[in-house]
Amino acid sequence: MGTEGLAHVVRLCGINKVYENGVTTHVLHDIDLEIAAGEFVTVQGASGSGKSTLLNIIGLLDTASCGELWVAAREVRGLSEDERALTRRDFLGFIFQSHYLLPEFTVLENALMPLRIRGGGAEARRRERVIGLLEEVGLGDRLGFRPRELSGGQQQRVAIVRALANEPVLVLADEPTGNLDQKTGRLVFELMLRLKEVSGTAFLMVSHDERLARETDRVVQLVDGRIADDREQASLRGN
Amino acid sequence: MFFDHFAWSIALRGLQYNKGQTLLSVGVVAISVTLIIFLGSLIGGLQARIIDNVTGAIAHIDVTPAEREILALWQFEQPGVLYGGQREAIQPRQATIEDWSVWVDRLELSHPQILAVSPTVEGQGFVSRGARREAVRLVGMIPRRHNAIVDVESDLVSGRFFDLDSAEIAMGRPLAEELGVGQGDRVRLVSATGNIADFTVAGVFETGYQGVDSVTIFLPLRDAQSLFGVGSAVTNIGLKLERIFEADRVATSLEGQVPYELTSWMADNERMLSALRAQSQSSTLILVFTTIAAGFAIASILIMLVVSKLREVGILKAMGATRRQITTIFALEGTLMASLGALAGTVLGVGLSLLVAQVRAGDDRQVFPIEVTVEVVITAIVVAVTVGFVASLYPARRAAKVDPIEVIRGN
Ligand SMILES: Nc1ncnc2c1ncn2[C@@H]1O[C@H](COP(=O)(O)OP(=O)(O)OP(=O)(O)O)[C@@H](O)[C@H]1O
Ligand SMILES: [Mg+2]
Repeated sequence: MGTEGLAHVVRLCGINKVYENGVTTHVLHDIDLEIAAGEFVTVQGASGSGKSTLLNIIGLLDTASCGELWVAAREVRGLSEDERALTRRDFLGFIFQSHYLLPEFTVLENALMPLRIRGGGAEARRRERVIGLLEEVGLGDRLGFRPRELSGGQQQRVAIVRALANEPVLVLADEPTGNLDQKTGRLVFELMLRLKEVSGTAFLMVSHDERLARETDRVVQLVDGRIADDREQASLRGN
Repeated sequence: MFFDHFAWSIALRGLQYNKGQTLLSVGVVAISVTLIIFLGSLIGGLQARIIDNVTGAIAHIDVTPAEREILALWQFEQPGVLYGGQREAIQPRQATIEDWSVWVDRLELSHPQILAVSPTVEGQGFVSRGARREAVRLVGMIPRRHNAIVDVESDLVSGRFFDLDSAEIAMGRPLAEELGVGQGDRVRLVSATGNIADFTVAGVFETGYQGVDSVTIFLPLRDAQSLFGVGSAVTNIGLKLERIFEADRVATSLEGQVPYELTSWMADNERMLSALRAQSQSSTLILVFTTIAAGFAIASILIMLVVSKLREVGILKAMGATRRQITTIFALEGTLMASLGALAGTVLGVGLSLLVAQVRAGDDRQVFPIEVTVEVVITAIVVAVTVGFVASLYPARRAAKVDPIEVIRGN
């Protein structure tokens, strides 16, 4: 791969997704997409246009029917299930509409979970940093709380810190504010922006909220599984 | 990867968090371990008591003169043979072992299992005192040797055993009471061969073995030899073994070396042994089914646990947990629950066994002869932990197969 590949955290080349169960559903058509390190990209599109499918393929949770995909400068085609898991563990972070925090563990333990999965002392090494991130999102005094003792917005903030704990190159966020009221959603979104600046991690977010999308670096429009529009908004961000 | 810190932390936290399910599984295992230990100890103790009743007072291997095979003409296949060999007249005189003192010494050294060797002259007879008369078994022996076969000396109620003099005998208390005699009284013995002699009761004992206490009279070897008219020979040589269940094997290994017939107690008690074996097998069967039931209980509880945690498992896999890590989580949970259950069951089972072993009848005899052995306890623990591990494999595999995308899409 060329040197230009290194500048990108992910690269998609002619990605298609076809479901075949009785009827054939062609969900994604020839998607070409590159996301640069530290870039905040929003994916928009109507319901059923394939946004989640796209994110899941990039996040190695789903597989493309054909096409090429590089994540963190490695081709992922042909990787085994465990190799894909390890790639997720080492290079990717996830935020979902639901927080999916583990109820048995405290806020801090939940945020540290990706490091615990990795093992080998990663948890001890990055503990201070994760505590710093939790303080950054205003949960410094809630480290020992259980998820059910937090508000929805607080839970989602823990999920954001958890997604960043392993210092991923890219965080995939599928409607991270979908379950939150507008004000709380806005707060959580602003935290993501701030953490992006702090950590230099790229974000790929699905959001229906036009106003949030306008504040990100780039907006990709999906229409019926095709990229209809791909707009840099660097001028709006002012850098 | 049973040392995975991540898997341990998820498993342990899961056990703490789902207390109900954990306690249920621990309880199921504890009950089956309790059962294994209690039943095992009870059956083991019962069988040990039965076997001791049979073997405690007899020689484990009896050496007797070989029976002459009587050859009959019709047993020969070649036609025309008129004389088929010597045909012994069936003698009223007992067959005996003449060179017994040589064989006593040889047998003592012949096998490491042999603890004691006792030459005896044994036969049926009568004991009488005045008008009272009882059929008895007369055993002429050397007391210090024979005491290794049945311990009379330490069960003496009165008098002596080791230093029986000529014309002195020892008998059990039930027999003495039947005859109305005590230490120092005179009785008359009549052997099956018809010889008669008078003796003094020098010792009265109570070994607890019915066959000894009620029907056996011990007398010095020489007196028995003349009473039965066997000269200086003996009729039997008894062997006591270190481990009673070696009897068949020892008898077989000695067969070629000794010119006499060797009968092990096991051959004589074939029926009882097979009954005991059947009893062991049926109790083993009960325990096997109990264990299998416990295994299924653990498996189904774990499956419930897995199903209730599919979301969490999916999210852990999305974050990069491998199949093996997920498998380890649930295998650990099953094994840990079984280990806790084994611990609780050991305490309960041993406690219950010791408690029941305390139960005494009116005469202060133990009602249930329970023997808690280390083997039984270790078997129960090993079985329980293994079953817990095996039972967790299916739920664990099922959890490992969870596809994170289904969890994420499902919501
Ligand atoms: N397992 C499947 N089998 C068949 N079709 C599927 C499957 N999963 C998704 N689809 C189809 O793929 C299309 C895209 O789904 P996707 O979830 O990516 O949409 P989306 O853009 O995320 O929509 P929303 O905004 O509602 O979340 C839909 O038409 C859906 O029916
Ligand atoms: Mg979607």
